[in-house]
Amino acid sequence: MNLRRLAFVAPAWLYLIVFYLYPLATNVRMGFQDFTVSSFYTGVAPFAGLRNYREVFRDPAFAGTVTNTVLFTAGSLLFQFGIGLALAVFFRRNFPLNGVLRSLLLVPWLLPLVVSGTAWRWILETDSGVLNRSLLSLHLIDEPVPWLASTSVALTAVTLVNVWVGIPFNMVILYGGLQSIPDELYEAAQLDGAGAWRRFRHITLPLLRPVTSVVLTLGLIYTLKVFDVIMVLTQGGPADSSQTLTTFSYDLSFQQLAFGHGAAVGNLLIVVAVVFAIGYLRAERRSS
Amino acid sequence: MRRALNTAIGVVVLAVMLFPLYWMVNASLLPSTELIKPTPTWLPIHGTLDGYRNALSSQGRHLITSVYIALGTVGVTLLVAVPAAFGLAQLRAPLRRPLLFGLLVAQMIPGIVMANAFYVAANELFLLDTPLALILADSTLCVPFAVLILHAFMGGIPAQIREAAQLDGASALRTLWSVILPVSRNAVITAGLFSFLFAWADFLFAVTLTTRDEAAPITVGIYRFIGAHISDWNSVMATGVIASLPVAALLVVAQRYVAAGITSGSVKD
Amino acid sequence: MRKLAAALAVTLTAVALGACGNGTGSTKDDNNTLTEIDYYEAAPQNTQLPKLLDECGAQVGVKVQHQQVPRAQFMPKLLQQASSRSLPDLALVDNPDLPQLAATGGLVPLKDLSTDGLYPSIVAAGKYKGDTYGIAPGVNGLALYYNKDLFAQANLQPPKTWDELTAAAKALTKGTRYGMAFSAVGTEEGSFQFEPFFWTAGASLSKLDSPEAVKALALWKDLVEAKAASKSVVTWTQADVNDQFMAGNAAMMVNGPWQLPTLNKKTDLKFGIVPIPIPSPTAKPVTPLGGEMWTVGHSNPQREAKALSVLKCLLSQDKSLEWSKAAGYIPSNQAAAQQLAQSDPQLSAFVEEVATAQARTAELGTAYPKVSEALFNAIQACLAGGKSPEEALKAAQSAAG
Repeated sequence: MNLRRLAFVAPAWLYLIVFYLYPLATNVRMGFQDFTVSSFYTGVAPFAGLRNYREVFRDPAFAGTVTNTVLFTAGSLLFQFGIGLALAVFFRRNFPLNGVLRSLLLVPWLLPLVVSGTAWRWILETDSGVLNRSLLSLHLIDEPVPWLASTSVALTAVTLVNVWVGIPFNMVILYGGLQSIPDELYEAAQLDGAGAWRRFRHITLPLLRPVTSVVLTLGLIYTLKVFDVIMVLTQGGPADSSQTLTTFSYDLSFQQLAFGHGAAVGNLLIVVAVVFAIGYLRAERRSS
Repeated sequence: MRRALNTAIGVVVLAVMLFPLYWMVNASLLPSTELIKPTPTWLPIHGTLDGYRNALSSQGRHLITSVYIALGTVGVTLLVAVPAAFGLAQLRAPLRRPLLFGLLVAQMIPGIVMANAFYVAANELFLLDTPLALILADSTLCVPFAVLILHAFMGGIPAQIREAAQLDGASALRTLWSVILPVSRNAVITAGLFSFLFAWADFLFAVTLTTRDEAAPITVGIYRFIGAHISDWNSVMATGVIASLPVAALLVVAQRYVAAGITSGSVKD
Repeated sequence: MRKLAAALAVTLTAVALGACGNGTGSTKDDNNTLTEIDYYEAAPQNTQLPKLLDECGAQVGVKVQHQQVPRAQFMPKLLQQASSRSLPDLALVDNPDLPQLAATGGLVPLKDLSTDGLYPSIVAAGKYKGDTYGIAPGVNGLALYYNKDLFAQANLQPPKTWDELTAAAKALTKGTRYGMAFSAVGTEEGSFQFEPFFWTAGASLSKLDSPEAVKALALWKDLVEAKAASKSVVTWTQADVNDQFMAGNAAMMVNGPWQLPTLNKKTDLKFGIVPIPIPSPTAKPVTPLGGEMWTVGHSNPQREAKALSVLKCLLSQDKSLEWSKAAGYIPSNQAAAQQLAQSDPQLSAFVEEVATAQARTAELGTAYPKVSEALFNAIQACLAGGKSPEEALKAAQSAAG
């Protein structure tokens, strides 16, 4: 029986090794090498020990980038998950057009980012953008807000768009999770006199936990990896104010052509992912 | 009355979330010069369909390529992920946690690093410009996600169901096919749907692994189209609309399946 | 569920059967098909270049397989090709990237191709450690476009000095229209647009925090503070700047000759072109050299010889002129450029600028990308982050190391 069980997971193991092991090893190794444009051609990349990491830590942009990453990730996850959960719960109600509306809500997520990014650039444009125009005419602001053109607001703008992109993903998965909670439990609780909030806290949240952990862990990893949204809107600017570790890694590799440094930052991100993966596995073990 | 109110709320939420899409459609119908006027034009009264004409004539082939690649990706992904999730969640296969760990960490590898490795491999194997290369590359975006999602859902299926099937003498494979899969239909369709979407939306692998324009999927097609028509915004937006329509249609069809419950009706013995 | 599974199985079989398709890979065996790569996605270059390649290929007796990649993907693609030792036979690279590529050792030195009659700056830009690795068929630069109607209305002459520029920009700012537009975006484009002002003030890229540099950045900052230029310049690419000018949202813009085909199509827009204003009448005008150069990748002696022949054809005077006219570039051959300036007065300001243009990598070679990034970050910190020009440039100099 043991062999039979292994056979089910064998394709996944094979897949993991064939497709991910080599790139992972390459990236880890590059972080410890002095890797230049020439290295791609000649294959020669002198061993640099921890120098790349030291230089990255000392880079004046690094501290700010880490802060941005924390704020961006926390802000995105909080709102994507919160709003996604609220919508998932809302759509559990029975009303006409429920299915159609729910499917159409996935559209922000499946629009090519190069297109929705451009649409958002127009909407957030300081002078002619419709967001500023609307806020001004509603007298909610006095001056147009330089959403993408100011170091103090750019990160907020980018987070806003990322939340918009991520809500559907959270909503769909959480909705699926909600569906696996039998209606009988809710009915019984209602008979016992429990209100909507109590039902949510004592039935929904606990039974949703496995799905919640997956959504949050995956959400964290995907948010750390977010690249296109930031690049299309601000390229990490102005002046690195919306630069996250992922865009910083890209910048080091392809703007400054310092591939070893870029890989070093990439490795830092992998370490972060490892930490959260361990956290997820602990939480998962506790629940089963 | 209550139901109508809920529908109204749903429509308002949709309107807010889809506003940028509306803006995009608005832009796709306006002549190019209206787009950066300081006062926004709310309704495309002086509409034009030129953008759509332009976009359709050049992007048709790319749409088909994208569908092909996305379907292939779904196939490969489910083939690997469904048995793996079953083994992890229900059968308590050995080395469970290392596999989950590996899959989570695998997702953190920067896309460009994966792309570089894929390029070198595809070049050696003469697989550049083939759908197979893209299918395999895109599946790396989907497999970890699919395994994790399916594993979470299958973990919620009570063990009695599997045990009942085993008592009837079914092998593990039979149990998976005849009993667990129907019950996890919801989750499998969700995983398949997301795989389709991940593959559809991929740009990096697409641009890395194709050298000829004919072999490129829609993401690259749009990007090139935008580059070539940099000031022709309504054509640009039209391509965006066209690129999203097939997927939107797919969603509406698929949501019928995502609507049914998982375990309701399965443990009734 | 059964039906779904059956449908899936049929689909997968169909997909599997077609999935292998016509694979390509290292085409090193076929010496009669050369590979080429460029990033010309915009019209008309995206159709003109393949045409020229086919013509020259036919002359030499080879087929040229043309590959076009988005600009942001160009360097990654070249690097992937370098990794798999399959660099294209012909690559049209942006001139600031040339030193890095030459340093890989994967490019063939273009010893047999003559660079006589070409602008010295473009010849210098293509050199690495004394050898020529890249030659440009055409170059571009920057000049000041101005809206003739708006200037006539306000009774103004196109500005020649910085003071005149600031005055004109302020005078022409009315309602939703800004006097001036330029690109201060956080990419190489931002540095490119700033370099004319930076260099004519007398600053040098090896010292970003000199008083001259501060003066130049102060000019841009004043324009934005006085609202003569939009705050959004930090988000605009040169294409966005062109859109703003075309829509009448800006009375002047800094841009290059490649915009001319688009601008000329808009028949109700009357515009003129003058050299970029200089700080004082005694200052030397210097603009950055833009444009791409052809390089040849190492393969085997037969392919390399064929690639060199194709290149010779592409760089011939008539092909170079044909290319420049189509792309909106200035021919790198000085005589041809002068000829073009005579026949096409719109280009005369650009030809004038190109004569005194400077390659961006002339001073710093492979160290340019890092310094350029420090520079555009400083511009953004100053225009969008509230830093003073001194502070911003000081930080830039320490970041550039």
